[in-house]
Amino acid sequence: MSAPPSERVKPSPAGEEDLTRLRNADARRGRLVRGVMLAVALIYVSVLLLAPLAGIFIYALRSGLGTIGRTFSEPDVRHAFLLTFVIMAITVVVTTFFGVIVALVLARDRFPGKRLVSALVDLPLAVSPVVVGLMAVLLFGRGGWFEPFFASRGIQIMFALPAMILVTIFISIPFVIREVVPVLQELGMEEEQAAWTLGASRVQTFFRVTLRNIRWGLLYGIALSAARAIGEVGAVLIVSGTLTGKTETATLYILRAFDQYQDQQGYIVALTLATFSIVLLIGIETFKRRRTAEAD
Amino acid sequence: MPRWFKRRILAAPLVLSLVGLAACSSSSASGAAGCSSASPAASPVVTLAAYSNPYTAYGKLISTWQSEWKDAHDGQLVQFLTSFGGSTTQAQSIINGLQADIYASSTAPDVQLVQDAGLITNDWENAEDGSTVQSGSVVFAVRPGNPKHIENWNDLTQPGLQILTPDPAQSGGARWNIVAAYGAAMRGQVPGYAKNNPADAQRLLEGIFKNVTVMDKSANDSLKNFEAGNGDVAITYDYQVATSQAAGGEEELVEPPSTVQIRTPTVVVDKNAEAHCVEDIANEFVKYLHSKEAQDIFASTAYTRPIDTAQAAKATDTLPAVKDLFTTDDIGGWDALVNDTVFGPNGAFTLAFQSAQG
Amino acid sequence: MADVVAIEQAAKRPEGRARPPSGAALRRWSLRGATFVYLGLFILLPVVAILQHGFGDGLTNLKAALDTFGAKAAIRLTLEMAALTAIINGIFGTLLAYVLVRIRFPGRDLLSTVVDLPFAVPTLVAGVMLVALYGPSSTVGGWFEARGIHIIFAPLGILLALLFVTLPLVVRSVQPVLLELDPAEEEAARVLGAGRWTTFRRVMFPALRPAIAAGCLLAFARSLGEFGAIVIVSGNRVNDTLTAPVFISQLLQPGHYGSTGGPDPAAAVSAVLFGLAFVLVLVTEKLVSLGKERS
Repeated sequence: MSAPPSERVKPSPAGEEDLTRLRNADARRGRLVRGVMLAVALIYVSVLLLAPLAGIFIYALRSGLGTIGRTFSEPDVRHAFLLTFVIMAITVVVTTFFGVIVALVLARDRFPGKRLVSALVDLPLAVSPVVVGLMAVLLFGRGGWFEPFFASRGIQIMFALPAMILVTIFISIPFVIREVVPVLQELGMEEEQAAWTLGASRVQTFFRVTLRNIRWGLLYGIALSAARAIGEVGAVLIVSGTLTGKTETATLYILRAFDQYQDQQGYIVALTLATFSIVLLIGIETFKRRRTAEAD
Repeated sequence: MPRWFKRRILAAPLVLSLVGLAACSSSSASGAAGCSSASPAASPVVTLAAYSNPYTAYGKLISTWQSEWKDAHDGQLVQFLTSFGGSTTQAQSIINGLQADIYASSTAPDVQLVQDAGLITNDWENAEDGSTVQSGSVVFAVRPGNPKHIENWNDLTQPGLQILTPDPAQSGGARWNIVAAYGAAMRGQVPGYAKNNPADAQRLLEGIFKNVTVMDKSANDSLKNFEAGNGDVAITYDYQVATSQAAGGEEELVEPPSTVQIRTPTVVVDKNAEAHCVEDIANEFVKYLHSKEAQDIFASTAYTRPIDTAQAAKATDTLPAVKDLFTTDDIGGWDALVNDTVFGPNGAFTLAFQSAQG
Repeated sequence: MADVVAIEQAAKRPEGRARPPSGAALRRWSLRGATFVYLGLFILLPVVAILQHGFGDGLTNLKAALDTFGAKAAIRLTLEMAALTAIINGIFGTLLAYVLVRIRFPGRDLLSTVVDLPFAVPTLVAGVMLVALYGPSSTVGGWFEARGIHIIFAPLGILLALLFVTLPLVVRSVQPVLLELDPAEEEAARVLGAGRWTTFRRVMFPALRPAIAAGCLLAFARSLGEFGAIVIVSGNRVNDTLTAPVFISQLLQPGHYGSTGGPDPAAAVSAVLFGLAFVLVLVTEKLVSLGKERS
């Protein structure tokens, strides 16, 4: 940190009225500067974030309600949405369940190599989805490490739902853990220990005390993880085989629609995903505020 | 009981059912222990992996064939699962385990890849029409009015021109483009380049690829890129341009005087079809693709030419005639082209590319 | 609910601490076990697979990948784009954080929500949005095209996509630190005659530096791997708009210009790419925790 201001800046020798005038001019300039900063910030956000959102609304709705209705009645579209939802649901359940366990271990336990574990949790954030797809190919594709095991039992992993779920889980792992660990760390163990004194069992304590205390952080992490799972495209593109009506998620459908001169359908499905994401976003914001409010 | 506990209990059956759903969908795609022809499946499923262009055509072909089959086979409905992407990407996926029963490729070498992996055991090269189901020619897509006056392959080497062509590693279309240029030069149809002179052919390719900065992952992408306003000319399939024009695209089509006949093979992937007990059905469908009815659908939906080379050289409703339409067999055959003369380690394209980019 | 009150009151009593009920060691190890199995299977295993395939033969695979046409250009473009993104959003993200924390205005909560939009929206949809707005057939895009400015299928489009995706990373990195800064220090500097810019440079910035750096690094790391938004927007032109992740997906094809292609070279490049990004993420974590220790 630099030296405190008083040692570096000499006070000005002006009189009282001058100081007041200076302060007023300064305040006006201050307001001007803040105004400019606000304007710049708003313009940046509008151009970068809001305008494209508006664009997608306009393009999708421009096709008219008829096309929108027809698009939603297409079995391929419906299946794509269903598939996206199923993958998201399974991913969220798995990453939440194990995420809470890992968070508990990271926040409360001590063992050699804990830092490595903590770093491992962050790894999926650094990996490009394309690389995740490659990982799946190396493990489950032809010649892959696990391929003989599953092939001999007639279980299809690659180019089927299991591979798609596995890659989506990989990329979603960090979110719940990263949100819950700091909350657990801030809370400490006092309330749990108090519950034990009062005779509560470990299970009871977990559900009634721990879980209750981390709920907003947990929900925030779940919402982030759900949003990520819905939006996954790079990895599933590689592992799914894009079989329309079977392994085509909503995002893959959009990719194909634009490829096949079906722009309108692409925009409509994209708009649906965007709308759902915005709902999720509102949820995210609410959970985040509750979490910050409780922390204070 | 706390809310949270209740929710966890409710989650369990949800998880189980979703896992069950996953298991069901995966096991249904896996190979059956044995096929009993005595009791055929009520609704067999055939999986088709195709290159990206004939999306609409196959849609129509499948639905037409499905209803004909249903009428002829006691109401048996054959379901189709389709996947569309870059031709080589699809080949790679099939090799990696994509359970496709039929592979609609855009080039013979891609089919060869799948055959080399042991998944195709039938003699597709000597089958009807050499397994070709679609035919077209390599052309240039240019801006309205052809401002750069591109008429022949040597016009592509003019300095400052920006050419779009897809990536040979992913798109069969890219290899057709290169082979077309090579063949035209070797046949002495390009002014300034001597006949039967591999060095000249290499020079032509070098001149072209000096101007190429676009390498999309599929022929579709390449044309879309061009339509988005990038580049001066796109080398692409004629029927691709026709499809785009029908969708409102404004580009013009320039047919070079000499170009290769694109012949795209569709082949049954025997190992997969046998494992799924749909080998007979798959063979029937592929056979259907050679019928007049199917060829008419290809022509009307995908704007393709007739398979027979002499017929293909004539003008169609949407495409111009070709003065010198040659096939890959006329310039040595795919094996020689891929392993030696064009794409081999000392092939015309390999060397041209290295010096164009070096 | 009465239990909760009782627990909270008990927690405040110093003698209320106790050991957990019996079976502690077993539970601790089963939790640890579950953690190791989960992370080992899902994260460690795939990473080892990539490293083994990529570097099992030493550096030959990496060399083969880098010699492939477009490799070096893709990597260079990716690094350039990531750096530009980190710098631009470093500036605007900090500005936004300042606006959100220090300036009161109607709609502040709404702005805060909008800033988180990229966290919720799928990256592919972000790309679609950009094409919708700036594509050549749209009014805005057409206006730019007419003046020779290509956005979609051009590097500018990639930059916009990356800026979109990474903005909240910087804002959310700087915001909590800004919140904790005591305005009194700045007021003191101002009262003593320091100019606005001097105050920022000497009082606020040093405190914010680790957080801004962390945000920028995170944005950089994120940009290295971005695929969904770029694949729609970029047109994948070598030297121009082909980025490393898309290039890797191309490397997976066999027969790439006469080389063997296939997963091994792709694995090598992938390992380098995510190794770099991983290091950055770790450095970011360290910066954040250092920042926390200071305050």
